[in-house]
Amino acid sequence: MAAESMSKKQGSAMVVGGGISGMRAALDLAETGYHVTLIEEASHIGGVVSQLDHQFPTDGCGICKMLPHADAEHVLQQCVRRGLSHENVTICLQTRVMSVSGEPGNFTVTLQQHPNPVDPERCIGCGLCIPVCPVDVADPFNAGKAACKAIGPPTPHMAAGPYRIDTEACTQCGKCREVCPTNAIRLPEADRKSFTILVVDDEQIIRDSLSEWLGEEGGFSVITAESGEKALEVLEKKPVDLMLIDIKMPGMDGITLLEKALEIREQMAVMMITAYATVDTAVSAMKRGAADYLVKPFDPEELLPKIAAMYHELTLPPGPEIRVGAIVIAGGTDEYNPASGKNPFGYKIIEDVVTGPAFERMLSSVGPTGGRLVRLSDQRPLRRIAWILCVGSRDVQAEADYCSGVCCMYSLKQARLAQKAARQQGAKIETVLYYMDMRTFGKSGQQYRDAAEAEGAVCRRSRVHSIVSEETSGDLCIRSADTSGQIREDRYDLAVLATGQRPSAKVTELAEMLGIASDPRGFINTREFSLTQTSGNGVLAAGSCTGRKDISDAVICGSSAAFHASRLLHAGGGNLLEQSAPAESAADIFREPPRVFTAVCGCSGAVSGIFDPETFSGKCCGDPSLYSVETADWLCTDEGLADLAENIRQSGANRVVIGACRPLCVPEKKKALARAVSLLPELIEIVDLRSQVPAASEEIPEQQKADTRETMNFRLEMAISRVKLADPAFAPNIATGQSVLVVGGGIAGMTAALGVADHGYGAYLVERADRLGGNLNWLHQTIEGDDIARLAEQTRSRVENHPMITIYTNTQVTETRGTGGAFRSTLQTGDEAAFSVEHGAAILATGGGQAETEAFGRGTDARIITQQELESRIRENNLDPEQINSMCMILCAGTRQPPKNYCSRICCATALKHALHVKEKNPEAGVYVLYRDMMAYGFLEAWFTRARKAGVIFIAYTPETAPEVSAQQDAVRITAMEPVLQREVEISADLLVLATGIEPAECGALARSFGADTDAHGFLREAEPKWQPVESLAPGVYACGIGLRPASIAESVASAEAAAQQAVIRLGRNHQPAPKNIARVRHSLCSLCQSCIAACAYGARKYDPESRMIIVDPEACRGCGACASACPNFAAYLEGFAPGRMLSMLAAAADH
Amino acid sequence: MEEQFDPVIVAFVCNWCTYTASDLAGTSRLGYPKNIRLIRVMCTGMVDTQYIFKAFLEGVDGVLVSGCHPGDCHYINGNFKARRRMKLLKTILPQFGIAENRLRLTWIGASDGIAFAETMQRLVDQIRELGPNPARLQNVI
Ligand code: FES
Repeated sequence: MAAESMSKKQGSAMVVGGGISGMRAALDLAETGYHVTLIEEASHIGGVVSQLDHQFPTDGCGICKMLPHADAEHVLQQCVRRGLSHENVTICLQTRVMSVSGEPGNFTVTLQQHPNPVDPERCIGCGLCIPVCPVDVADPFNAGKAACKAIGPPTPHMAAGPYRIDTEACTQCGKCREVCPTNAIRLPEADRKSFTILVVDDEQIIRDSLSEWLGEEGGFSVITAESGEKALEVLEKKPVDLMLIDIKMPGMDGITLLEKALEIREQMAVMMITAYATVDTAVSAMKRGAADYLVKPFDPEELLPKIAAMYHELTLPPGPEIRVGAIVIAGGTDEYNPASGKNPFGYKIIEDVVTGPAFERMLSSVGPTGGRLVRLSDQRPLRRIAWILCVGSRDVQAEADYCSGVCCMYSLKQARLAQKAARQQGAKIETVLYYMDMRTFGKSGQQYRDAAEAEGAVCRRSRVHSIVSEETSGDLCIRSADTSGQIREDRYDLAVLATGQRPSAKVTELAEMLGIASDPRGFINTREFSLTQTSGNGVLAAGSCTGRKDISDAVICGSSAAFHASRLLHAGGGNLLEQSAPAESAADIFREPPRVFTAVCGCSGAVSGIFDPETFSGKCCGDPSLYSVETADWLCTDEGLADLAENIRQSGANRVVIGACRPLCVPEKKKALARAVSLLPELIEIVDLRSQVPAASEEIPEQQKADTRETMNFRLEMAISRVKLADPAFAPNIATGQSVLVVGGGIAGMTAALGVADHGYGAYLVERADRLGGNLNWLHQTIEGDDIARLAEQTRSRVENHPMITIYTNTQVTETRGTGGAFRSTLQTGDEAAFSVEHGAAILATGGGQAETEAFGRGTDARIITQQELESRIRENNLDPEQINSMCMILCAGTRQPPKNYCSRICCATALKHALHVKEKNPEAGVYVLYRDMMAYGFLEAWFTRARKAGVIFIAYTPETAPEVSAQQDAVRITAMEPVLQREVEISADLLVLATGIEPAECGALARSFGADTDAHGFLREAEPKWQPVESLAPGVYACGIGLRPASIAESVASAEAAAQQAVIRLGRNHQPAPKNIARVRHSLCSLCQSCIAACAYGARKYDPESRMIIVDPEACRGCGACASACPNFAAYLEGFAPGRMLSMLAAAADH
Repeated sequence: MEEQFDPVIVAFVCNWCTYTASDLAGTSRLGYPKNIRLIRVMCTGMVDTQYIFKAFLEGVDGVLVSGCHPGDCHYINGNFKARRRMKLLKTILPQFGIAENRLRLTWIGASDGIAFAETMQRLVDQIRELGPNPARLQNVI
């Protein structure tokens, strides 16, 4: 079959962590053609974002927009919250990495998979087991705010199954197994009996209670001993798997016993039992070989899960082992626990003090309150909510001298959502954010904040001291101090703590295992000017494990990590991919009339009483294409499916409809069946008969049965009418040019060109100036001290010496024709004759520069300069800090307010860098920084702290209290409102430095000639700011660098790598079958009215003047069908939804 | 007791949001009335007015078009296209003897399983009140 014979690149990779960046990395690698094993410790993928129903800036959910589009056959086109399924990705849930050996290009990884007692192949998600389960667990998905059972779907969206069992909480009562209709549950109960625990304690009561809990409830074999001597006797005679030893015992003490016991049985696990007073001893016992300790008095709720966890740890067999060429770590971060430390906000003590993630769940319609804005403690409607920002971040005492990057934005978002919910109920709500700096860095942050404030969110710059709960009213009383130290008290119904990040212990452990460097805090270190390259070759880091990222940054990092992995696999020639089994070719049934084979799975009797093949075929007897109707059994098993395939083959049918349960509805099963019966997968329809059933009417089981029958029948009928008109044609192959045009020779452009060239594709690098390097040519150093000139030199020389890159300096793109896959652009160098190049994709790295301003006396005096001028002076040794008595900086000069209402991300860091440069060289100099919100996001915060310590004076201003500047003979005078003193201050400076921000280079005309676009501020417009941050809306056109979004050098590099990878994916599709489920044109019906071109949001349709036809770019079309409904002639249609099929389905649906 | 009128309602639901919600409703055992016949489409923006006419002419008592919330459409703005189209259609339907409130447009997000079940129940009740589609009784055109 054509689709299978596509030659895949060799090689495979492993991605550890199934959050956004992990998924992005996995999808990019998979789309490039590599095999990916995606490891996730939790029981579902999606990471943090799976808990967020609303994402800034649209406040809806857009996670599905990360899927590669159109081709339903290799990636399942469904809501990502329900699961991810891609032909080249193997997802291993509840799995972790045990060990890694080998070298880059060829690692051997041993995994350990936590067995799920629920067989995913059999679980149909019927839900019968949930009500019978006696164990209530605080649902981790709902941040512990709602209860769930020990068995059930991992997230509400995965209600269709497969379920999972929380093995630590499960008491193995077996009730679920009794009710499971498909025998999907296999509790490993018998095994626990063969696990022997020896309890050694001198107190009878402890021995008795432990044997009761562990033996009767836990199902383990428990033996006891009252002293060390007795215990050793037992050990001599009997093998013991786990020993629990009391530390304080008369006679032989616990520690001595531990040592002696381990002499007898070296491999045995030991846990110490200790009172609070002797925890130190227990900890030291762990150095002598104890695995853990338990503190008396025991809480049986905690004890059993702990022992069960230990049991799993000891009994889980390692495996499977995989071989991969590259490893991407995307393990994320942990959430700060505000109850640790002094806990001034009473978290966990006051019920109505919740964390940001918990409030996020309260806003969800599948959350603990069903999306209603009520208090958890007393169901009172929420009318006053406070957000407290920077809880556990920007806090040197809590060892968190960093900013968590996302909390400001999510708090603003939550406030907006709360306002919206209240508006819908016609209620008024107070939403107040207590903040230090509102870090709305990036392209649209400031506008979002303005909108939130306009809708009623109040941003109050204050420090919160404490929260107390009023006895009688239940109100929360928040004491805070504003910038001038004024104390105030306010009452609220709920307080949301915007909790920060903590490095994940698991990631740190993995980093140690891989031998890669982490910083002292525990976040993974990356190389200079890179967000994703770790110190180890072949090991990349993506997403929050290098410091927390918002969605767009996580997506870019995921792609950037995929890029490095892909480049490595490509360079190695890739040789580790398991060859996919040679595909049998699908039969060509183009000329045959449809013959539909229909089978319904009896589901071990559950369906057979309802569905009757005879009556069903009687009902459809007028349909000549209905070939046969049968019932089958156990289609969820391999044997059952093989039997069915045999029947289908023998019948000679050429289309298939199957009614079954969820396990059969996964694409792999469909594909396997398609192969077995030699039909294209689109000729097979599988209907999930069990999930969408009518509401139960308990009183009348007969009625219920009849309703179910009716539903089943019409759903099958609709499927038959769909499939009989399915198009059996093979997809044509795609042709795409094998080179890329990169516009802009700054760091982003150079990186992008190198990226595609390293993958073996040609790159034309076009630069307007006479020299490559862009802004690197005047930049000096990063704040960390990394040498920018060296970066420029090295990158330039790599570009110049790369055989696949052609450089055109002094050159502009004057015209572009064509569309994704086949562009022809005209280039003009100086005054020479224009020439044209052909290319399959384009990367716009048009860059930008420092903005100019007229504010703050700029242009009136030579002592009023910009950060760029200051940087150049430092670079050229033209600035002597010793000569400076006083230097003042004003940040956000002309930005973050209309008409330039965006944050440029880099100016605060630059200001800190220069302030420190002067202050550290000349501590006597007065250095003043007038700022609005210090955007020292992420680890830049430490530099902010350092600058304050060094004596740099920071004065906050607001647009209303903007400082005034007057240049005088002796100095530049700056008058500003000092918020702490609450009065005006005057600064006399030798030098006033303005941070004017980034302005994108004018690129609107260029972008439009490629079919792309720019936004109101002149930045290139992304296809989707969060989920497709480096793609433009034009097919085959990508963007990166600061022409796309304000960014630091490392961030620009990452976006360039991400863009390069998207281009590589696009070019790699050459000679492969086009996606099938896209829009098409029936030229005989087409009147060339071009309404479809106007309706297409993706520019996928074009009028081709040569052939005088409307043509569809198969790579650009996403298969939405907007063109089909715009077409007045039924000429445009979406494959799979052609009018004939729709109408015949409608007729089936309308059939009474 | 007089036999209750059992309307037939065709629901065009978009693959990304409302279909997911219907799945969520179905699999979380909330269930929804059997009167609803779901037709999954990729996006509400692809629902051609001709399908809606066809449904009514086939005798369907109500038609629902339901997709992602504004701003959430997987295909940028398909739901806006649908909104425009439905508004227009509602003005035309009465000319064919079909009450405009037999056609309904809603936004139901992927997580809104409960909302889906509730909306469906409400819709069935409302259409039941309207009685059978006259096209079912006599041929309008
Ligand atoms: S995809 Fe849901 S309305 Fe467009």
